[in-house]
Amino acid sequence: MNQALLFQRLRVQLLRNSWHVMVRQSSMRPLTILLCSLIVWVFVFTISWGGFLFLHTEIGVPLTGEIVGILLDLLFLSLAVLLIFSSGLILYSSLFTSPETAFLLSSPVAADQVFAYKFQGAVAFSSWAFLLLGAPILIAYGLVCEAGWYFYVLLPLFFLGFVLLPGSLGGLAALLIVNYFPKRRKQVLGTCLAALALTLTVWIYRMTTASPSELWRDEMREAVTRLLSYFQFTRNPLAPSHWVSLGLRRVVRGEVGVALYYLALVWSNGLFFYLIAAVASTWLYRRGYNRMTTGSDFWANGRRLLAARDAVSQLAGSTRRQMPAVRREFWMDRLLYGVLFFAHPCTRLLLIKDFRTFRRDPQQWGQILAFCGLMLLYFLNIRRFVEDVSGPYQNSISFLNLCAVALLLCTYTGRFVYPMLSLEGSRFWILGLLPFQREQLLWGKFAFSLTGGCLIAGGLVLASDLMLLMPILPVLLHLLTVAVLAAGLSGLSVGLGAIMPNFRENDPSKIAAGFGGTLNLVAGLLFLLLILGLMAAPWHMGAYLAMIPLLSEIDPGPALLSWGFLGTGVVLGLFAGIACVILPLRAGVRALREMEF
Amino acid sequence: MIKLDHVTKKYGTKTAVQDVSLDIAAGELFAFLGPNGAGKTTTIKMMCGLLFPTSGTVSIGGHDLCRDGDRARQLLSYVPDQPFLYEKLTGREFLQFIADMYGLSRAQSAQRVAEMIELFELHEFIDDLTERYSHGMRQRTVFAAALVHEPRVLIVDEPTVGLDPHSVRRLKDLLRRQADRGTTVFLSSHSLDVVEELADRIAIIEHGRLVACGTLKALRQQAAVDGPLEDVFLTLTRPLEDKVTKP
Repeated sequence: MNQALLFQRLRVQLLRNSWHVMVRQSSMRPLTILLCSLIVWVFVFTISWGGFLFLHTEIGVPLTGEIVGILLDLLFLSLAVLLIFSSGLILYSSLFTSPETAFLLSSPVAADQVFAYKFQGAVAFSSWAFLLLGAPILIAYGLVCEAGWYFYVLLPLFFLGFVLLPGSLGGLAALLIVNYFPKRRKQVLGTCLAALALTLTVWIYRMTTASPSELWRDEMREAVTRLLSYFQFTRNPLAPSHWVSLGLRRVVRGEVGVALYYLALVWSNGLFFYLIAAVASTWLYRRGYNRMTTGSDFWANGRRLLAARDAVSQLAGSTRRQMPAVRREFWMDRLLYGVLFFAHPCTRLLLIKDFRTFRRDPQQWGQILAFCGLMLLYFLNIRRFVEDVSGPYQNSISFLNLCAVALLLCTYTGRFVYPMLSLEGSRFWILGLLPFQREQLLWGKFAFSLTGGCLIAGGLVLASDLMLLMPILPVLLHLLTVAVLAAGLSGLSVGLGAIMPNFRENDPSKIAAGFGGTLNLVAGLLFLLLILGLMAAPWHMGAYLAMIPLLSEIDPGPALLSWGFLGTGVVLGLFAGIACVILPLRAGVRALREMEF
Repeated sequence: MIKLDHVTKKYGTKTAVQDVSLDIAAGELFAFLGPNGAGKTTTIKMMCGLLFPTSGTVSIGGHDLCRDGDRARQLLSYVPDQPFLYEKLTGREFLQFIADMYGLSRAQSAQRVAEMIELFELHEFIDDLTERYSHGMRQRTVFAAALVHEPRVLIVDEPTVGLDPHSVRRLKDLLRRQADRGTTVFLSSHSLDVVEELADRIAIIEHGRLVACGTLKALRQQAAVDGPLEDVFLTLTRPLEDKVTKP
């Protein structure tokens, strides 16, 4: 059988069997996933549809014109950058570090066939988010523009052709980095991400210096032209994202012939780059695996140079010798040990272990760091967007920022804290035999999650409120809300993680995406809504009502009523938070005590 | 059938295998011994084409693994110490996949899969997903997959770990039978009793260097020990300071 067909059949069999297992284990899980996806899809569609309709009917922006074109350019460019990184990372792990790799490489299968098989999986996995988030935006665009049926036929074709190119670039980058920087691949990736973040920061800074609040003072036309000039880089005629944007706008206008030209351009370039990546894989894949496993001469030379430098430093009596890795990391552990003075010594030791594991896996903290960095960047630049930070803007933006941080916290606990117990996996018996009570294990993980959550979310909320010049009361209220959220979400994630552990899986993202993980996420979101509604919303509602002068003059009741709501809400929120810590943890402790391993 | 010609493999600045030469004939059951970290697995990985030698050549059936790797790999099967199975495939689907991967025709693969199920007594669980298999069931399935395409070279790394005495007996019979049929069996193991019972020739590697290679009788002569393989092995791999103080 043809090797390409063989891998396709393997993929179909694996998907079919996984689906059967999932349905057999619980039909709730696929239904929940489907329902959640549908809710997100409908939400994004509604927002986009309303947005495009507003632009078109209220502001009079032509939907096939340049302004919407820039928005589409930006959408596809962002998607391309994300796809390069995500498909590159997925391809790196599936080509070089998965257990399947050694099995396939010791078989007579051609290297480019393995690459093709892994490439399809990586691109499909990394671009599914487009189906969930990009498709409703573009379908809403087509509906508002009253595009013909061919728009909906050509849309998936444009997308399929488009994902080939960033996917190929990501794959090519993974092959080159592993081949030429086999022992420094994380540093190279870190440098690339840092460069991207720096570029983004500079661009946002430059753009926000021309923020709307300043622009209103200029002539409108001149101001908009100036603002649009900052997006000019997205419209490079050689950028494939621009071809997709142009092609889709031409379809909407009914110029199908021109659109097909752009479609051909996207596909031919996508296939060309895929060909380059596939040909490169025939030379570089096996070689890269060898170099990554054994280290390269480049690295050996580097180590020899370091050894030589150390020798020279010793001869010169230099005291600036590099500290060994263990010594460098030690202060972080000591710091954490000190910060957690309130915990039992055994719990603290377990926390240090969890922290070390977390710290040494950049895939774990890298995502949190990226989200927090972007959020912090936005908070620190709020004042550039909103000149007058008093009044309704201050009130609503601070509440929305709190909601965003709460969602981040919910993601953090669902993605990283929930799988922690399951990740002990086959090593769980070691912890089970340690001379301390098993519940300390859960309390340790809870304390770890609570400390991390409070530090991250508290810091972000504080930055947002300080930038918005919020009064002291809501700042304290927000911090209290964050603390209750961190405690409750940590309790839920640790407790449910103990009730529904998955010791067979080593990949935390798969544990988080499982039935227990999905249930935890849904429970976390409900808890989040409850706490925000009880603890933060009353103050913001009261402050908003107090801003309506006529209303407060006629009847001061609503403002006074909100104080009553505030007090009751905080008390109820605290009770809800305590319940979400105690109940899941108690159930988790019970499950852990009864666990056999 | 397997030829290593002055093979050296370096991991950065550390030499894992140094100037190893081996020539193993068809139908030979060749055992490869050595302490932990001696370079056994590195050597095996070079023989499978997973790693490339820093210098020297490795060839299987006359095909150089660096230049003509796909053809060389077509001739061999590798059973690692931690074998891989697709968790979401049934045993039968896995065997079929391996048969297709090695280019067996539909009729051939159906016949060989049926033979392997019979030989390894896989009937009871062959249509279950492999994620539910016990260690013994996995090991039997892995060996069935390794032999389904009738390889000319079978490379086995630590096959007896975790197996019960019945399974070990079956495995020993299987390896001997394969060698008698003309398959070259390259066995890496710490189970010296298994090696002593089965091997035609034995090589011992230590710190990446081949310290002994020959029949058990030749090894006994080299070590000047007239006892079991365990004594021979311990003598030949004794730390250097011990050799100086206790000749």
